[in-house]
Amino acid sequence: MSSLTATPSENESHITSYPKFVGRSLWLATEGSLAFYAWMTMLTAVFLVGANAWANQVAGGMIGTNMTDQVSWGLYIANFTFMVGLAAGGVMMVIPAYLYHDRKMHDVVIIGELLAIAAIVMCLMFVVADLGRPDRFWHLLPLIGKFNFPISMLTWDVIVLNGYLLLNLHICGYLLYMRFLGRKPNPTWYIPFVMLSIVWAISIHTITAFLYCGLGGRPFWNTALLAPRFLASAFVSGPAFIIVAMVFIKRITGVGGLDQPIATLTKIIRVTILINLLMVASELFTEFYTGGSHASAAKYLFFGLHGKTALVPWTWTAIGLNLTAAALFLWPGLLAFRWRPLLVAACCMAFVGAWIEKGMGLIIPGFVPSTLHEIVEYVPSQLEWKVTVGIWAFGLMVFTIAIKTALPTLKNPAKY
Amino acid sequence: MKKLKLRITNLVFATTVFLVVIMTFGLYLKRAERGNPHHDRADVRGLLQVANDDKVESDDKAFAVVVHRPAGPPRVALAGVDPQGRRGEVACSTCHSVRKANLENKTTDTLNEFHEGLVVNHGKLACYACHNPDDSDSLRLADGTNVAYQDVMTLCSQCHGQQATAFAHGAHGGMNGHWDLTRGPQMKNNCVDCHDPHSPSFPSMIVDFKPKDRFNAPAEHDQEGQ
Amino acid sequence: MAEQKPSLPVVENFSRRAAVKGAFATLGAGAFVAAVSPLRQAAKNSTAAEFMQQHYQELTAEQKAEVIARLEEEAKENYGVDVQIADDRPIPNTKFVYAINLSVCNGNGKCVEACHKENNHDRDTNQSYIRVLEMPKGTMDMEQGSTTYSGAVPKDDKFYLPVQCQQCDEPPCVDVCPVKATWKEEDGIVVVDYNWCIGCRYCEAACPYHARRFNWKQPTVPPEDVNPDQSYLSNRIRPVGVVEKCTFCLHRTRRGKLPACLEACPTGARVFGNILDPDSSIRWILNHKRVYILKEELGTKPAFFYYFD
Repeated sequence: MSSLTATPSENESHITSYPKFVGRSLWLATEGSLAFYAWMTMLTAVFLVGANAWANQVAGGMIGTNMTDQVSWGLYIANFTFMVGLAAGGVMMVIPAYLYHDRKMHDVVIIGELLAIAAIVMCLMFVVADLGRPDRFWHLLPLIGKFNFPISMLTWDVIVLNGYLLLNLHICGYLLYMRFLGRKPNPTWYIPFVMLSIVWAISIHTITAFLYCGLGGRPFWNTALLAPRFLASAFVSGPAFIIVAMVFIKRITGVGGLDQPIATLTKIIRVTILINLLMVASELFTEFYTGGSHASAAKYLFFGLHGKTALVPWTWTAIGLNLTAAALFLWPGLLAFRWRPLLVAACCMAFVGAWIEKGMGLIIPGFVPSTLHEIVEYVPSQLEWKVTVGIWAFGLMVFTIAIKTALPTLKNPAKY
Repeated sequence: MKKLKLRITNLVFATTVFLVVIMTFGLYLKRAERGNPHHDRADVRGLLQVANDDKVESDDKAFAVVVHRPAGPPRVALAGVDPQGRRGEVACSTCHSVRKANLENKTTDTLNEFHEGLVVNHGKLACYACHNPDDSDSLRLADGTNVAYQDVMTLCSQCHGQQATAFAHGAHGGMNGHWDLTRGPQMKNNCVDCHDPHSPSFPSMIVDFKPKDRFNAPAEHDQEGQ
Repeated sequence: MAEQKPSLPVVENFSRRAAVKGAFATLGAGAFVAAVSPLRQAAKNSTAAEFMQQHYQELTAEQKAEVIARLEEEAKENYGVDVQIADDRPIPNTKFVYAINLSVCNGNGKCVEACHKENNHDRDTNQSYIRVLEMPKGTMDMEQGSTTYSGAVPKDDKFYLPVQCQQCDEPPCVDVCPVKATWKEEDGIVVVDYNWCIGCRYCEAACPYHARRFNWKQPTVPPEDVNPDQSYLSNRIRPVGVVEKCTFCLHRTRRGKLPACLEACPTGARVFGNILDPDSSIRWILNHKRVYILKEELGTKPAFFYYFD
């Protein structure tokens, strides 16, 4: 888990207690009810299907995907982009907890940090799945490979994503380890990292947006609003996922004290979902009022171009989901306990809406029409869906295990 | 914990400073890279302005630009065979040394015998604008100067000066071989290699090679040419 | 630490539980190995030497010789032909520039075909570095163009715009590459080290001219069609999973010859040369003709010009 940072204890050195902690966590993570085992078995099965599909993709070349030289990024990079947002979205628990000293949020903030870990792991897996030569991954490593830093935005992304992963691993690992030792965590060893992680969360999504908006040859992406839009939708999808997760955690494990954090996150989404819609609207106004070939990707996305309409159903679904979710979130009654299923539904809508908007609705239209204005449509192949679902399954496995490990902490929050 | 109390404004400020610093750093390094002589990105536009100042020594160009020339005056194939069964070919002068040129022929309508069926689509030129009535095995410039068939480009250049200039500078007519004349010769076509002097407009062609894109079927409106 | 051991109905004691967990972990690991077994086939096709190969610019002369010998051997093994892979370096005081006469080009596509053959492109897809747009007269908006035209050309109301790598002086593709697998050489040619590229395709997204191609599968070329006259940075048969691009036929042009697309052009629309030579055709064209630069507003500074009579 995390690196060892605390001062040695009186009785036992970390060299012996840390492995015990890891073993204990592992044991705890694999304990559970039949439903838990069924859930994990299902995820494993799906993950194995994905792993097999990916192995076939590596062996046979990426011809198994439906990507082309015109649409050279597809479902993988779409999911990657969304996952960065999910990872950054976890920070919406950290900010109330540490900056506004929300006591209740502070007790469960680890859920957000664990989500960040799982999401970043998925990000890295999606990037690897998208590589034509995963065997040459070492070329990307600083020092032994050749790292085009700082010119290439992708190298920035490699740094910030791995940095964010390490930060969150450290924070969660340290807190859980201290808990295991039964000691009070020393703020010097984690508060600065928490503060850094807040800035860092914003940077991961900003830099991921810079990957796209820095490309002059792709007018659909080449907008200064992209990074703020990414952040706004991340602060919808992240909290939405966490709310759903917390509702389930409460239902399944009986962890208490989650209702107030749920309310806080709902209030956050209430604002961010509107900001996101506002940004989408101003983007669309600029595109369509100006017109010209600069707007052709937007035209393709919303209405189809020259009779090609593959993305139209996707994007209107996203718009519909986002608007419905926004309307639901604006309704004050949503927070009432008896409307929990509706809250979950609203979160799911916002989540799926953001997924489409940032994936199929943003990455793909960047390539359609192509730079030579050819309209080559893209629909993910079966292989791509398998790999994608496999990575999602793996991410959910990581998240489930992480939550399991943290359950004792969640059930009995520290009293200090 | 108390001393670490941060306000959201401070955080936003810190974020902005962080981003500004990294972007400035990035841009600075990018500029530095540009100035690096290892990345020699000579600017073409700058060169154009000093086009006449720096002369590269052109004497060491060991090879020449070779312009293809036609074999000579055309020969006309005879319809029949001689007693030995051979097909015959005769020069224009075989007939035209005895048959006087008909300066009245301005269109193909009045042509007969060997010239029947000739398609001419070259402006309003009459035959003897280019052919020489006094010496049918050579051509004639507008000022009456004789030009050998091999030097037909001189004749064409009378009217097509722009093309001739462009040709002289490699901007018309294409080439083969070497761009670097220190390493090998360059071969160029003659006007009549591509243009039929009687109907000089470049012929229409059929596209027979297309990339086969998996998902880029020809669109409806592109089928009209077939 | 609060410990309430959730119990399974069947397994109660610790060591048995551990054994069951271990068994399931082993089963999972075994299933994973089985799932990714196609990787073994992929691993068979790549050697340790290939895996460990350093970046082109870091190779010493001997290492380069070794690499080239290995590549020639692989070509023999996989394609059944004896090929010669050279390592052509830029000619000093040379910067290559290309120009196309749009008044003359008739869209016949011979350049596309010549590129396909010269550069050992995949035969199944008719891959080529050149794409020609058929555009209606009276516009420069590519939106109106079409690359899928066919039949007799030129059509009366159309003109033709061939597009290939513009060998930009400010190449966005080079900037975005995370591993420096693509760079601009002294003579202006943007090259790719096919043995260093990781296949992320960021360059393909960054290029405004659709100049880059990805090897979605291993290229197929029948032995009799392979052009054996090859160069490391140019037309050697590319491995699967990497990006490639037009190199102005550097295996020809760095030996003083003209590019294949130019030689194939029956209309003489294409002109190639060294811009540093004041007597070059290219210099004359840029000084005397009206020139159009594709997507000039993007600031990529192409070394590729379109001109008109």
